Amino acid sequence: MKSAIGLLARGAAAIVTTLFLNAQANAAGTLREATIGEPPPLDVMVTTADVATAIGRHMFETLYAWDSSYKSQPLLADSERLEDGGKTIVIKLREGVQFHNGKEMTAKDVVASMERWGKFGARGKLLMASATSVEATGKYEVTLKLSSPNGAWKNLVSDVNGGLAIYPEEIASKATGQPIEQKDYVGTGPYKFKEWRPNRYVELEKFAGYKPRKEKGDGFAGARVANFDAIRFIPVPDVGTRVSGVQAGDYDYAEMISGDLYDTLSKDKSVQVQRTNAPIFGLFFMNSKEGILKDNYKLRRAIQTALDKSQALRVSFGSKDLWKAEGSIVPKDTPWYSTAGIDGYSPHDPKKAKEMAKEAGYTGQPIRLLVSTNYQAHYDQAAVFTRQLADAGINVQMNVVDWATLIKMRGQPEQWDIFVTHHSFFPDPILFTFLNASYAGWWDTAEIKALRAELVNSSDQAARKATWDKIQALIYEQVPVMKVGDAYTYDIASPKLKGLNPNGPAFWNVSNK
Amino acid sequence: MWAFALKRAGATLVTLWAASVIIFAFIHVIPGDPIYVLLGDTATADQADRLRTELGLDEPIVLQYLQWAGRALSGDLGRSIFFQAPVAAVIADGAETSILLATMTMVWVVLIGVPIGTVAAMRHGTWLDQGLSGVAMLMASVPTFWVGLYLILIFAATLGWLPSSGYPSIFEGGLGNLRYLLLPSLTLAAPNAALILRLTRASMLDVAREDYVRTARAKGIRPWQVVTRHILRNALLTVVSAFGFTFAALMSEAVVTETVFALPGIGRLVVQSILRRDYPVIQGIILVIVVLYLVINLLVDLAYRFLDPRVELQ
Repeated sequence: MKSAIGLLARGAAAIVTTLFLNAQANAAGTLREATIGEPPPLDVMVTTADVATAIGRHMFETLYAWDSSYKSQPLLADSERLEDGGKTIVIKLREGVQFHNGKEMTAKDVVASMERWGKFGARGKLLMASATSVEATGKYEVTLKLSSPNGAWKNLVSDVNGGLAIYPEEIASKATGQPIEQKDYVGTGPYKFKEWRPNRYVELEKFAGYKPRKEKGDGFAGARVANFDAIRFIPVPDVGTRVSGVQAGDYDYAEMISGDLYDTLSKDKSVQVQRTNAPIFGLFFMNSKEGILKDNYKLRRAIQTALDKSQALRVSFGSKDLWKAEGSIVPKDTPWYSTAGIDGYSPHDPKKAKEMAKEAGYTGQPIRLLVSTNYQAHYDQAAVFTRQLADAGINVQMNVVDWATLIKMRGQPEQWDIFVTHHSFFPDPILFTFLNASYAGWWDTAEIKALRAELVNSSDQAARKATWDKIQALIYEQVPVMKVGDAYTYDIASPKLKGLNPNGPAFWNVSNK
Repeated sequence: MWAFALKRAGATLVTLWAASVIIFAFIHVIPGDPIYVLLGDTATADQADRLRTELGLDEPIVLQYLQWAGRALSGDLGRSIFFQAPVAAVIADGAETSILLATMTMVWVVLIGVPIGTVAAMRHGTWLDQGLSGVAMLMASVPTFWVGLYLILIFAATLGWLPSSGYPSIFEGGLGNLRYLLLPSLTLAAPNAALILRLTRASMLDVAREDYVRTARAKGIRPWQVVTRHILRNALLTVVSAFGFTFAALMSEAVVTETVFALPGIGRLVVQSILRRDYPVIQGIILVIVVLYLVINLLVDLAYRFLDPRVELQ
């Protein structure tokens, strides 16, 4: 018996040794990023999913792009000219820009892309709804005519996320609302599509025909130089595995690391921590169409008065470096920072809240809060708030579902009173979901209607900022939505990488030391 | 014999049809659809409605079933909404990982479970037996994600001997890629080996009480030969039947291990597909699994009948 076990043990040892000897180094020149999950199809014009954006922006480019301080700088555009009080926008394109299929980009491609974006793009309507015509007025010149000026136009064409990515005419003109096929992933970016292995990876390879802009790379703007031969985006759903993978050298970059690991990883020499400069923020939407909170603004204010947002942020994000209890909807150090109404952000006064609720005619009826467990932070925040509201005598019933169910249910106004989500950073308030009257929540009072029109139709920045101050004050008065606070997500990278992009994962201009 | 086989096959087809209806109904009963997963959270209602129509997801559920069943009958499982690729290809790719992982795990299960179970049985009642049984209980109780993360931490992050995660196909990188499955298979093997260990031990103790074992001993056969030839060989009959169940379960239920090690296997694929409501993939995988079980059952039934003609179909 002993000899039989010995034999088995020797056999096992032999297998293990063979496997070790076969260990091979990673193919040189491929950057491997561990993503949180599989992306949906990479047609960035129709999808706003972050995983698709992070990959897609290497392949597809926009007319303008945000620099590291989130100002729009020309990318595929060369210059622009506004006529007719801002109602006519003439964009001059860069010459000599090549698509991945070898064709040169001209005004025709831009016009076809704009038309598809206006019809099917996730954010296309915001600009194209007021378009009266879009034409190629030269081989490299596009003229867009609007029925009224749009002060946000440049921001609207500066990001690939649901945005105006430029596709070749023959692809854009036949594309519908369905995501385009993989064979049609043809853009002008520094990397081009190579292959997609379901459940394994998406691989992009360097595009040899790319000619970077002359300006120095800054954020997403300026020169884009591909230093790696290829980039592989690998879905690694477990955060512990993403971290160990970078420590072990199996990945060069891993995104979305959890807050509880921040302090340890900040001191760990085997990784470098990359905190974003663009905070996301949690949002609790109130139902403005139906139910107990429909137009009872006093009760909504009572709810917000009971809350201590810092506590929810601490529970959901951990380290103090990763969150800020900020009442301004847009963070500090941006042109849109505003203090209007922020006294109402996080008073944490359960006694006062109780009185306000009583005055609002509230007698303990259940308030249905819809939240998903797919995002741990959403659930944590909802749990903390439910507890705090109980202290103020406000009876919240949590309805916990998965994300796909939440999205379905939030479209049905009779199903909920409050739902939880979060919002990405945007450098222009026009893109905020709560200003969209058709987004779940359906905030469309007379006051916001008027202010919304004012915000869109003015092209003067000072005037637009003054309008935004009024909108933020109104948000704290009517409480269509409660901001939880700013959360700075962070990624980790191999210490060998340099030139990481503070705007978010983008791997042009990144190289090995 | 032929009448029996035909009747049995007919019953299998009816079961398959019933299963297909249940699969389809259950998946469509849960709320949610893949639209917002494709388009992202901020898609407008208009945009979502239009895509729903383009994908045919707003058609009556019965019609959707008939279309799917019709195609499935001709061997076409449809296209994944999410991957924009044929479901059959997506499943085949996942199956490679799952089959290899399950096989490798079974190797560990046998190498660990059977010999240690035998030793425990032979030293029945001693401190060694107690100790080994304790270790087995511990292995069966520790959560797999915890074991997995620690193995990664030790063997990948600290020692750097093995890759931390992922699995590139052996058809592209050669057999050497099996090293990617070493840690995951050990993780999965721990609780299953514990089970087999306990089973081997119990089964051997049963057999050891049989008369023929006493006779063998009385004949003066060497003790280790009694153990290997008479006890173990007979005890293994029970254990081997447990291998089948374990293997089948490993194929489809290794979700946690596949997630921790970022393996492109069937378990993770089905869970992710449910979360993103990729209906064709969910239906395809469950159908394939049902077919596999049905075929195995059918073969077993036929084999029984072949071995023992007295078996009648009720």
